[in-house]
Amino acid sequence: MAERVDVAVIGAGPAGLAAAIAARERGAERVLIVERAEQLGGLLPQCIHNGFGLLYFGRDMTGPEYEKAFIGRAQSLGVEARLETMVIDLDAERGITAVSRRHGYMKFKPGAVVLAMGCRERARGALGIPGTRPAGVMTAGTCQRFVNVEGYMPGSRYVILGSGDIGMIMARRLTLEGAKVEAVVEIMPWPGGLIRNEVQCLHDFGIPLLLEHTVTFIHGEERVEGVTVSRVDAERRPIAGTEKLFPCDCLLISAGLIPENELSRKAGVELDPATGGPVVDQNRQTVVPGIFAGGNVVQVHDLVDWVSWEAEAAGRSAAAYADKGRLKAATGVRVVPGKNIKYVVPQYVSGKDDVTLHMRVERPGLKATVKVGGVLWKRYRTVRPSEMIILEVKGQAMKEAGIKGELVVDCELRGGD
Amino acid sequence: MPVMETEVLIIGAGVLGAATARELSRYKVDVTLVEKNVDVGWGITKANVGVVCQGRDTLEFRPEYHRTRLLWRALPLMEPLCRELDVPFKKVGAYLMIRDMTKKEKLDKLARRTESLGLGSDTYYPYPELKEREPHISPEIKGGLYDHAIAVVHPVYLTQALVENAVANGVRLMLETEVEDIEAGHTEFRVRTNRGEIKARYVINAAGEWVDRIAAMVNADDFVLFPIKGYVGVLDRNCSELAGSLLAVLPEEPGDMNIVVPTVEGNLLFGIQLQINRRHDRSTTALMARRAIENARKIIPEISEKDVINSFCGYLMFRNFEIGWHECEVAMSARVPRFINMTIGYPGVSASPGAALEVLDILRKDGLALEPNPKFNPYRKDIPDFSMLSEKERKALIRKDPRYGHVVCRCETVTEGEIVEAIRRGATTLDGVKFRVRPGTGRCQGGFCGPRVARILARELGIPETEVTKAGGASQQVPLRTKQLLEEGGGDG
Ligand SMILES: Cc1cc2nc3c(=O)[nH]c(=O)nc-3n(C[C@H](O)[C@H](O)[C@H](O)COP(=O)(O)OP(=O)(O)OC[C@H]3O[C@@H](n4cnc5c(N)ncnc54)[C@H](O)[C@@H]3O)c2cc1C
Ligand SMILES: Cc1cc2nc3c(=O)[nH]c(=O)nc-3n(C[C@H](O)[C@H](O)[C@H](O)COP(=O)(O)OP(=O)(O)OC[C@H]3O[C@@H](n4cnc5c(N)ncnc54)[C@H](O)[C@@H]3O)c2cc1C
Repeated sequence: MAERVDVAVIGAGPAGLAAAIAARERGAERVLIVERAEQLGGLLPQCIHNGFGLLYFGRDMTGPEYEKAFIGRAQSLGVEARLETMVIDLDAERGITAVSRRHGYMKFKPGAVVLAMGCRERARGALGIPGTRPAGVMTAGTCQRFVNVEGYMPGSRYVILGSGDIGMIMARRLTLEGAKVEAVVEIMPWPGGLIRNEVQCLHDFGIPLLLEHTVTFIHGEERVEGVTVSRVDAERRPIAGTEKLFPCDCLLISAGLIPENELSRKAGVELDPATGGPVVDQNRQTVVPGIFAGGNVVQVHDLVDWVSWEAEAAGRSAAAYADKGRLKAATGVRVVPGKNIKYVVPQYVSGKDDVTLHMRVERPGLKATVKVGGVLWKRYRTVRPSEMIILEVKGQAMKEAGIKGELVVDCELRGGD
Repeated sequence: MPVMETEVLIIGAGVLGAATARELSRYKVDVTLVEKNVDVGWGITKANVGVVCQGRDTLEFRPEYHRTRLLWRALPLMEPLCRELDVPFKKVGAYLMIRDMTKKEKLDKLARRTESLGLGSDTYYPYPELKEREPHISPEIKGGLYDHAIAVVHPVYLTQALVENAVANGVRLMLETEVEDIEAGHTEFRVRTNRGEIKARYVINAAGEWVDRIAAMVNADDFVLFPIKGYVGVLDRNCSELAGSLLAVLPEEPGDMNIVVPTVEGNLLFGIQLQINRRHDRSTTALMARRAIENARKIIPEISEKDVINSFCGYLMFRNFEIGWHECEVAMSARVPRFINMTIGYPGVSASPGAALEVLDILRKDGLALEPNPKFNPYRKDIPDFSMLSEKERKALIRKDPRYGHVVCRCETVTEGEIVEAIRRGATTLDGVKFRVRPGTGRCQGGFCGPRVARILARELGIPETEVTKAGGASQQVPLRTKQLLEEGGGDG
């Protein structure tokens, strides 16, 4: 027999916690978070650096500090949590199957579901890096977990592939641990993470950032002995003759996050190829009624503050759905990524209510203007793919502009790249 | 160093050594199986696409070839063997396809030959019908011949099961034991290993990539091996529906193996890009990877490099290249009595049950008494696979052992119960666990479960986590503790 709950949240990272809190605050009686890890907080317990909460709390916090604030609130609101419990199935009628050592085999039938499963990191295989298969190749996030949570070091001399935030943060962390980071290697002409991290984690520690380079070979039998790094051309193909050997005993890969949507797929949730996450409306409802989504499972955020806000919206909507049995899909207007825009979330809006649009540009540039239909123009000194652009659009303005069917978002560059 | 004695020494726990050991365990013979790796099946056997060929899919399976004889002998044995050992065996069928109607003649010839050999009959499907059966195939395919008998196995699972069963029936297994030299005496061989000397009456050389080196130790190397490196790519499970059967294009050039193969787990493999190489170096190259994907797209245009989650290389060790790349030999050395070489460049997995019987025939003929082992038990039970069980079975399993309720690998839904059982059955490394119960073979490649599996291994083996290795030797995943570099003052340059 399936257990009844009002709102079930899958994943207890910052998104899941915020969604659960919002659902309780909006009046859902029984809110349950299901989390496969041993503790609450998702990625945050391993992010012991600062830079969290500047927007949400107006104060610079570490990951664990940020997480504690949310866990405290969730507990005082009586949010239930099942830890070390893995959701293994979700169907289109919101039926959840989960398993754990403690509770065995479980079935839930919630009034509404919030997907908050976060992301996974892109691994070596997905990048197709040629070479041998020794020990000492891992993703930056796995290394972060080893170093910050488990207390182990995978090696003493590193090359980091990819200048995502995790990679840059790990470059600094490993240096502080007494290891040598030979280089951070980035295939694109610009860094993949926040400027803040480039300055604080690489420049301040004298760690070289090689732009327009990539790892083209991994050497070593039992463990990594070095990697070959090559320059790439405009099509990002390695240029023959530019190979350089970097001796190291560890290669960390920080080449992007992929929203974790296996369960979403099982439930028939439509995914946006541009974000890798579910297509959602302004209430963060997916195409499957009663299934909502928030946080990195929807789109890879660079700041946790936005994760919390987005998930709160999902949690509130889920509570409303669970309460009334439905929540009208806000799919009146489709938001379409136009010139130099990689994606916009949400993909659908009602066209009548105020809404916050999250988007990323494809290419960086100076003096950019982002145009939302005929409704809104905003100028930026610089835009970069690694920094999410967030715009509030007024419902009134959309109504006045007579937006119907589509809302196209463009980014025009007046300066060069 | 101790001196050990054994009647039959098998060098190499690849699929051939393992099959031979298991076959010998039916009899009251003292058998020792030595393997230089920390685990079994990690030689060529690991780099494999798992196809159980029926010996009729290419014209090169000529009846006069030794290889063909071994294969045909093995043909009826594989499925019952897998059943006894509880190893997944999946009949997927195969389409041998053409992209050019001038090749149709060759397919007809194959079909006629299959029939004349009494191996059943194959059906030819032109493109429209082929497309109905395999909807994702390229419109450039003109047609294909269907061979219903083709099956797939997981060669490493098979090897592990063979060894497990052989050991249960009395075979002595020595891992991390490398044969360094052999001296051939009149009545016995003195085999020097890194773990001491072993005296043996018979030596079965099943050293895979190194068969010729081992043979050279006693001057039984009256043959040359040609190492041909093969590249194989693994696709994400999301791509499973792209092919339900083995899809192959009739080689357009010699040695060109262009196939897409479903595995027993449901991933698709593609390849095999072949290249003459010096052996040992198993690195993948960008060129092989690119060609393999280009070729795979000629079969299924939807295949994309974005879906490749892993890739690997292995060596096909061919012998007698001049008569085609196929011939092999399982025979007693003409020069050294009681020394048996086993070389099967391809397809060694398919032929392994036949090759094992061949070795037994040779031993019997040489006068080795093979009396039945009264304690022989042909059955072995596999580790339960939580991800494949029904709801009822899952509940029962968790009730019996709650560790089966703890999912450690999210991509492949592998539980702690399975991991602990894999360790109990001999896995001592991360790869050992991975090649028994799959954590880390999914799309995140161990990013999430790696640290967790390491912790379980350390706990079960009673060793510190810093000593847990990926695949033995110096392959520790986390060789150091935090602060260690700072305390040792290292890392300054
Ligand atoms: C290394 C790193 C550094 C960062 N630095 C900063 C920073 O300085 N400042 C900042 O603002 N942000 C930072 N971030 C971003 C921020 O941490 C993430 O945006 C945030 O953690 C995403 O939250 P989430 O809840 O969506 O996902 P997660 O935190 O990943 O949580 C998802 C949870 O879902 C669980 N789950 C998944 N599938 C299942 C299932 N089937 N059953 C049960 N549970 C499941 C997972 O175990 C996990 O706990 C950083 C991120 C990383 C990785
Ligand atoms: C890419 C590829 C795909 C293939 N696909 C198929 C297929 O689909 N179907 C099929 O039937 N065949 C296939 N094959 C062929 C098949 O894999 C081989 O024929 C078979 O695995 C050979 O097994 P083996 O036992 O001879 O060798 P191995 O598996 O290499 O075993 C030899 C063992 O000997 C050990 N050893 C070596 N030297 C020493 C020493 N000095 N001391 C101790 N131990 C030692 C090694 O460590 C190794 O474990 C494929 C091969 C490749 C490369």
